[in-house]
Amino acid sequence: MSSRPSPRVNEINRPFWEACNDGKLVLQRCLSSKCAQFVYYPRVCCPHCGGGDLQWTEVSGRGRILSYTAVHRPQHESFYPEAPIQFIAVSLNEGPLMYSRLLELSSDDGDVLDRAVQVVFVDHGNGDKVPFFKLVRD
Amino acid sequence: MTAKDYSGVYVVGAGQTTYEKGATSSVHRVLYEALRAGLDSAQLGWKQVDGLAVTAFVLPPDNVTVLAEHFGLSPRWLFQGLYGGASGIVSMLHAARAIQAGDADIVACVTADVFDTARHNEMLDHFNAPVRDYMAPFGFGGANGTFALHTRLYMERFAAMREDFGKLCIAQRENALLNPNALFKKPLTMDEYLNARVIAEPLGLFDCVMPCTGGDCVILASEKVTEKLDVPPVRILGGGEWHNYPGDDIYTLRAGWEKFSDRMYEQARYGPDDMQFAQLYDDYPVMEFIQLEGLQITPYGETPAFIRETDTTVRGTFPINTGGGQLSAGQAGASGGMIGVVEGVLQLRGEAGERQVPCQRGLVSGYGMVAYGRGLSCSAAVLGTE
Ligand SMILES: [Zn+2]
Repeated sequence: MSSRPSPRVNEINRPFWEACNDGKLVLQRCLSSKCAQFVYYPRVCCPHCGGGDLQWTEVSGRGRILSYTAVHRPQHESFYPEAPIQFIAVSLNEGPLMYSRLLELSSDDGDVLDRAVQVVFVDHGNGDKVPFFKLVRD
Repeated sequence: MTAKDYSGVYVVGAGQTTYEKGATSSVHRVLYEALRAGLDSAQLGWKQVDGLAVTAFVLPPDNVTVLAEHFGLSPRWLFQGLYGGASGIVSMLHAARAIQAGDADIVACVTADVFDTARHNEMLDHFNAPVRDYMAPFGFGGANGTFALHTRLYMERFAAMREDFGKLCIAQRENALLNPNALFKKPLTMDEYLNARVIAEPLGLFDCVMPCTGGDCVILASEKVTEKLDVPPVRILGGGEWHNYPGDDIYTLRAGWEKFSDRMYEQARYGPDDMQFAQLYDDYPVMEFIQLEGLQITPYGETPAFIRETDTTVRGTFPINTGGGQLSAGQAGASGGMIGVVEGVLQLRGEAGERQVPCQRGLVSGYGMVAYGRGLSCSAAVLGTE
C-alpha cells in the first residue's frame, strides 16, 4: 500500500504544520487594521484585501459543521481500512472554512450539520500531526 | 460595457473519437484522432491549421507547443487550457477573439484524456497545492467527496430530493441510448439510481462520472475561410467566463455564470427563454442545477421544481445533455469540457442522428479546476445557426 497523502510542508505553510505538531491551531491574520481577517488555507497575501502582511495567530480550534459527507470510497487506498471517512467542512469561529475529518462519531449523534466541533491533533502515520475534529458534547 | 460580439467567426467542424472504457491509448494519439475528426468535419486539411488550442490533463510533461512539434504543425497562435472543464469553451472563445483580430484563420480547439479511476484519483490528489495539502490528507474522497458537500447543502437549503438529481441522470441516460458513442448502453431506473452503491453520502454510483478515454474537437474559422467551405456554419452568438467567484465563500451554491450570463444573452440578442437545449457540465448533477440557475434557465434554488416538471430528454420541452453528457457517455478528463460543445455543434448542424432535436440555438457550458472545495472556473456560450 502506498503511503498516505501528506501535505507538502513549504515556506508558505510551515508554521501551520509545525503548530499542529505542538498541538496548536494557528491561522494567518491580516495585519491591515481595516481588514484584520483570518486566512486559511495558508497564503502569501491576504485574499480579502490583498495586503502582504500576515501574522500567525493561535485560534480557538472551535467551529461548526457547515457541510458533511461520509466517504465510502476514499480517493486513496491508504484510507480504505478506515472507510467511511467522515469528511467535513468546518466554519471556524474566527471565520475561515477548514476541511477536515470528524472523529468518534456514534450512531446516536444524528445529523451533525451545524453541530459545534473542537479540533484534535492526530498522528498522520508518519510522526506528523494533522488537525481533525470531534463534536463538542455538552 | 457590452463586449464585442463574436461575428466573423464560425464553428466549421466538430469531431469526436470513439470513447473507450479505461486508459486505452496515449493522450497524444487521442488528441490526434480528435483533431483529425474535427478537420474531416470541416473539410479542412492538416497543414491548414494555423492556431492550436489544447487541453489535456495527462499531457504533461508535454504541452501545446511540444504537441505542435509532435503533430508537425507550425501555428501562429497557441492556447493551453488551464481551467479544467471550463477550458473547452474558454479555448473556443479565446480562439474566436484571435480570429477576429486576424492572429489566426483556422483554429483547432482540441481536448482529450486517457483516464481510468485509479489514474483520475492519483491526479486529483496532486491536482494543485490546495487539494494536495489541505484536502487529500483528510481522506476527502476526491471530487466525489468535494461535491457530496455541495450536494448535501443544496438539498438542505432548497429542499431538493435525491429523486430530483436522479430524474436528470435518468433522462441523460435515455439520451445516451441514442448516442452510439456513449459508454453506458442500458437504461437507468429510479430504483437503481436510489439504491446504487454509496460513494460519498448523499452521492451514489450514478451521481458520479466514469473516467474514460476520449477526445473532442471543434474547428473555428474566419469568414474568409468559411465562405469557401461547403459545411453548415455555426455561430458563437455570445459567451463568457469567470474565475474564483465568489472569492471568499465556497458555499453560495453559485460559481460565476450569473456574473456574465446577462452580458452573454445581450451579445446573443436572445434570452434564456429562447434556448432550445443546454449542454451542461455534468461532473455531478448538483452542478447542472447550479448551472441552470447561473444561466438563468431557472431561478436561484428552484431547479428541483423545474426538473420535476420538465422532460429533459431529446423528446422533451427542454433537452439537457442530448448525447448523455459525461454522466452517461463517459468522462474523458479535460474532454468533459468539450463533449457538450461538440454535441451542441452536431445538433445545430443537424448531424445528431436519432437523438436530433429541432433547434437553431442552444447553450453550452463548462466548469472546472477543482481546488479548495470547488471548481474555480466557469464558462458558457450561446451557439446558433443564424
Ligand atoms: Zn486583509
